Amino acid sequence: MALNAVTTHKLRSALTLLGVMVGVFSIIVVMTAMRVLQSNIESSLADLGANTFAIQKWPAVYFGGPDGFEKFWRRKPLTMYHYNLLREKATLAKNIGVEGDLWAGEVSSKYGRTPPNVPLMGAAPGNFPAKNWEIDQGRALLQSDIDSLRDVCVIAAKLSEALFPYGSPVGEKIKLDGINYTVVGVLKGHGLSMGGNQDNFAVIPMTTGLTRYGRAWWSWTLLIQANGSGDAYQDTVEQVRGILRAARKVPAWKDDDFEVFSNDSLISQFQQFTFSVRIGVLVVSSIALLAAGIGIMNIMLVSVTERTREIGIRRAIGAKKRNIMTQFIMEAIVLCEVGGLAGVALGVAGGNVAAYFFKVPPIIPFDWIAIGLGICSLVGIIFGTYPAVKAANLDPIESLRYE
Amino acid sequence: MRIATELREGLVISLSALRANKLRSALTTLGIVVGIVTVTLMGTAIQGLNGAFKKSISSLGSDVLYVQRMGWFINTYEEWIRAQRRKEITIDQVKALSKQLTLAKAVAPVAQGRSPARYKNRSSGAVFIIGTTEDFLQLSGVSVGEGRFFTEGESDGGRPVVVIGSQVATNLFQKEVPVGKTLKLGGVGLEVVGVLESQGRFLGAFSMDNMVIIPYRKFTGNFRGRPDYEIRIKAVSVDKMPDLEEEVRGLLRKIRHVHAGLEDDFAINKQEQFLETFHKVGGTIASVGLFITGLSLFVGGIGIMNIMFVSVAERTREIGIRKAIGAKRRTILIQFLTEAAAICLLGGLIGIAIAWPITMVIDRFLPSQLSISIMSIAIGVSLVTGVISGFFPAWRAARMNPVDALRSE
Repeated sequence: MALNAVTTHKLRSALTLLGVMVGVFSIIVVMTAMRVLQSNIESSLADLGANTFAIQKWPAVYFGGPDGFEKFWRRKPLTMYHYNLLREKATLAKNIGVEGDLWAGEVSSKYGRTPPNVPLMGAAPGNFPAKNWEIDQGRALLQSDIDSLRDVCVIAAKLSEALFPYGSPVGEKIKLDGINYTVVGVLKGHGLSMGGNQDNFAVIPMTTGLTRYGRAWWSWTLLIQANGSGDAYQDTVEQVRGILRAARKVPAWKDDDFEVFSNDSLISQFQQFTFSVRIGVLVVSSIALLAAGIGIMNIMLVSVTERTREIGIRRAIGAKKRNIMTQFIMEAIVLCEVGGLAGVALGVAGGNVAAYFFKVPPIIPFDWIAIGLGICSLVGIIFGTYPAVKAANLDPIESLRYE
Repeated sequence: MRIATELREGLVISLSALRANKLRSALTTLGIVVGIVTVTLMGTAIQGLNGAFKKSISSLGSDVLYVQRMGWFINTYEEWIRAQRRKEITIDQVKALSKQLTLAKAVAPVAQGRSPARYKNRSSGAVFIIGTTEDFLQLSGVSVGEGRFFTEGESDGGRPVVVIGSQVATNLFQKEVPVGKTLKLGGVGLEVVGVLESQGRFLGAFSMDNMVIIPYRKFTGNFRGRPDYEIRIKAVSVDKMPDLEEEVRGLLRKIRHVHAGLEDDFAINKQEQFLETFHKVGGTIASVGLFITGLSLFVGGIGIMNIMFVSVAERTREIGIRKAIGAKRRTILIQFLTEAAAICLLGGLIGIAIAWPITMVIDRFLPSQLSISIMSIAIGVSLVTGVISGFFPAWRAARMNPVDALRSE
């Protein structure tokens, strides 16, 4: 019966639907776009391997004035000394690595050159498992490369393609910052989905890098991979913290003078920072749905007035108040749901335009679709109730007599 | 004359129609009110942000260049790594540059540091230290409130004098007169010769009053021997800025021995960069915000259109009668358009009345005011919404065949 009423007034229903559709669209499009942005940032934050955590002097995400900044600035750097110390003492760790950005610029080989935006990183053998770097050709860096400061490098997939378009780069030489390095290995690509220049870098032994780019105050990132998740992971974190606190002479009552973070902690930190933004955006975008709800109520009231006679007849032949009420609320909900579905479809499509721009895979936020449709029914119920109550309370005799 | 009469008549009829369906009119208006309130608030917030930003960066000065090792806006990580490896700007380079510049009114080296300050038993957390010359006064927006700035002699001689920011003055000296007293900056005794006037916060985060200014010679003597200087250069006039920038670039490349073909190993920063970045980011935020809030106004407009269609359908007979006794299409059109516009205008006015107290609340967090321009835009937008969404129903009413209309139930 509800559907029947909706179809008899095509134009009126279409306009009401349009209102709900725009309301739902505004929620879904914003939430999809936010989700896309979020997954874009998260995928670039989360580049650590399984059960791996990183230790840095600086926090990964920092929002605050320069006054709080000083606390981090005063910290002593994390150096190769700490790396060697951990290798010696951290018995629970499976792999230990050290990473530092040394330089960025143009890389050239006999066959090609790149734009001047290729980062050069210093690393240790432990970085390869800790950062999920898989070897495609050749080999990874070895401890002997580190110990004897060899001029060797491992290059990422995209860089390898740019420099050696025709054959295998292993054994060839590349030039970075005027110095020749022998390529010993090529990393597997992660694909474009990770965005940006993920597969565009070169790695040399950290010790080799230090001889050329070392600065006393530079601080490096330590990477530690635990033997397993859960307790094994927690134990490893505690052991490493203990070693570093002792080495850096942090008194027992003071906080760590370094930051420990993992993929999960990075992502949860990021979500905390963006929580209030998301709530604000949700509120602003729901206002359109409120306006749509008012429109529904208005049209339902009109519908009740117009069908006064029909209601009178139904009451006269035995329909209960409850039946009349259900009929009108159902009509409102049907209107809302159909509009809501259309809005969801449009919103997901619109939000994924952002995904197209950021070159990340499209996202369908099922939870927000459910929430959006839920809010829709809620709007239908809330704004349909008053007209329905009004219809149900009509005096059957009066309404039969109505015009 | 005819049109005026028709307008007046349309207005009378539409007002009485609105009064006849009070609940319906109220709900329709409410839809528009919601839309107008959100759009107005969004507009006010955007305007407030804009204003706060412009006020904040005006202290940078539109005729001052900030030559630094690093650019203010570094877009990629690779760029940052490369900039990180540039050599420091030394005092000899500053001196060589200031000797050769022809388009500059004033040049000052600025070295920066941080240190806690003490006076008697009171101490403040780390204050921002600026080591510079007497020319600094001309180059930055600061002005001296009490006492004086240090002189050329004091600057060149590295005398133990200090000019303090207003926040430092109130924190350390409270009710005492600071000028003539000696404070300790990281263990170094310095005589206060002047107190700066309050400058507020930069971009709402960084207080510019929590700083002290000392002669650069004193800075290199007691705080950091070879700091990375920033060079502030004021142009003789604003229109000479591009020329000055080129002159600085050419001279500094020569002074820092940058080979032809290599990129600059320094960055020339200016206020405009802030404006550009802000317009890019702020423009996106503003358009997204207005789009989202505009959607609710759009929904309100749809509600009006819907109700107007109902209203036209209900009054088919009335329209038929009016047409039969000689009303023109235009008259009917105007009648319904006026009805829609009246609803919207009323909605717009109520919307502004609601938005006004809310802006006062916002004002506490972000200086913002409901400006006349936003108010008139809101009213204009509501009127346009009414006319647009009222047009189709009105058009349908106007085109009705009087015979059919009269026959309808």
